[in-house]
Amino acid sequence: MIEFIDIYKAFGPKEVLKGVNLEVQKGEIMFIIGQSGAGKSVLVKHLVGLLRPDKGRVILDGEDITDLSERAFYRIRKKCSYVFQNSTLFDSMTLLDNVALPIRKHQHVTQRRARELAMEKLALVGMQGEASRYPADFGDGMRKKVAIARALTLNPEFVIFDEPTTGIDPISANIVDRLITDLSERLGVTSIVVSHDLRSIFGVADRVAMLYKGQFVLDGPPSAYRTTDDPIVQQFINGRPEGPMEV
Amino acid sequence: MSATEEQTSGASLAPPEPAGFGVVLASVGEPFLFVGRELAAMAHVLWLTVFYAFRRPVRWSEVWRQAFEIGNRSLVFIAVVLGFLGMILIYQSGFQAQRIVGDLQLLGALYLQMLFREFGPTITALMLATRVGTGIAAEIGSMVVTEQVDALRMNNADPVHYLVVPRFIASVLMTLVLSTLAIVVSFISGMWTAKMMFGVNPGTFYNTSFIIWGDLIIFGMKSLAYGIAVPIIAAEAGLSAFGGSEGVGWATTKSVVNASLAITFLDFLLSGFGYVFLFS
Repeated sequence: MIEFIDIYKAFGPKEVLKGVNLEVQKGEIMFIIGQSGAGKSVLVKHLVGLLRPDKGRVILDGEDITDLSERAFYRIRKKCSYVFQNSTLFDSMTLLDNVALPIRKHQHVTQRRARELAMEKLALVGMQGEASRYPADFGDGMRKKVAIARALTLNPEFVIFDEPTTGIDPISANIVDRLITDLSERLGVTSIVVSHDLRSIFGVADRVAMLYKGQFVLDGPPSAYRTTDDPIVQQFINGRPEGPMEV
Repeated sequence: MSATEEQTSGASLAPPEPAGFGVVLASVGEPFLFVGRELAAMAHVLWLTVFYAFRRPVRWSEVWRQAFEIGNRSLVFIAVVLGFLGMILIYQSGFQAQRIVGDLQLLGALYLQMLFREFGPTITALMLATRVGTGIAAEIGSMVVTEQVDALRMNNADPVHYLVVPRFIASVLMTLVLSTLAIVVSFISGMWTAKMMFGVNPGTFYNTSFIIWGDLIIFGMKSLAYGIAVPIIAAEAGLSAFGGSEGVGWATTKSVVNASLAITFLDFLLSGFGYVFLFS
């Protein structure tokens, strides 16, 4: 289980998170939604030590990981992987080597074995035929799929997806959604998905939490977002430019 | 209370705004705190770089690639700048010397000494701070704002070990090589100017009698210090980039300003050391 307890985070004078509390259960698909710049990515980065809270605790499977050293976080990053918003593939490496990188760095296996395992993960996202090509040869959608394959190489228990369907075509987006559902149903993987994609939110989420001005305004099943009369949530879900939400 | 109302009651962690005399104290103290934080950040990157350079395997293929980027790609730039500087310096100093003492026999000897002590390593380092330092800051800064550095950390690869160490080793080696080349080019262009403008024979101009071991030691010390300072300052600027392209621009500006200041300060310190312990 993941617990964020009373998390505060500021960048200079800008306070992004102001006492955020969130629990994510094992195997759950949790969506975090909110405006751009609301602090969704900032919150989830605390789970893997890419950011440290100014105040508050982060608990993973009962262990307080808030103050772990960078080195100690390597252990956490093996079981909790991250699919970045920009894919972040390394341009100097082939797709296969990009996917094999976490295996080579985290596990003591031969280069050949690392590549075999990487090829299996590329096959999961239908990119095995392009393994020897470079990231620059592909568009955002394909790169994102490879980034997801890379995140799955270490068979993580938790995966953070940062806007996984943004900028990709509807078919690829559906493949990604199905992958997230499969991970949860077949392997019990816990997914935290940062997204704006309403189709995904109402299609695959078990629970959705909406962040606004540094705190959650609503945390519940997707159906709660259709029935709530909170004007801020309604404005966001319906995409209305006018309303109480500061745009 | 609705969820919307509830969020407005979130307590703030921001320090209280100073008031009254506190405003004056804060405005005086802030620049010192800023400089202290910057120096601490640079010292941290330097410490990690040296630690990883000696304690972890070095990616030598990347070191050679960076050496090519820093060395070969800067050759023409440094040769042109130092070549013209040599001509200007010899013309100006020869002109003044002719007016005051009328004897230009020692022009080459004094110029060579000045190149070893000051201009060779220092001007080269300033050139490298603008060409190489900004490149390092922009490259690493871009990787930070596009989350590639975070991706490295997620893959158990420390960004300082992976990105900074190869650039650091390449810079230390290439600064020494380029400073030597700068002295050669500048001396030859000065020699040509002396011959053309004042009729000084190249055999007379080439005079190493003023060069002592102390000059070679201070040349080596300065080249080493600048070779360390430029990549460390640039990497720290890149690693501290934030936001988007604006953050990368800010990082490159910070890199070139801090590196130029550091080179000037190190030049002052090492020259002082030289005059007290080596040249007397």
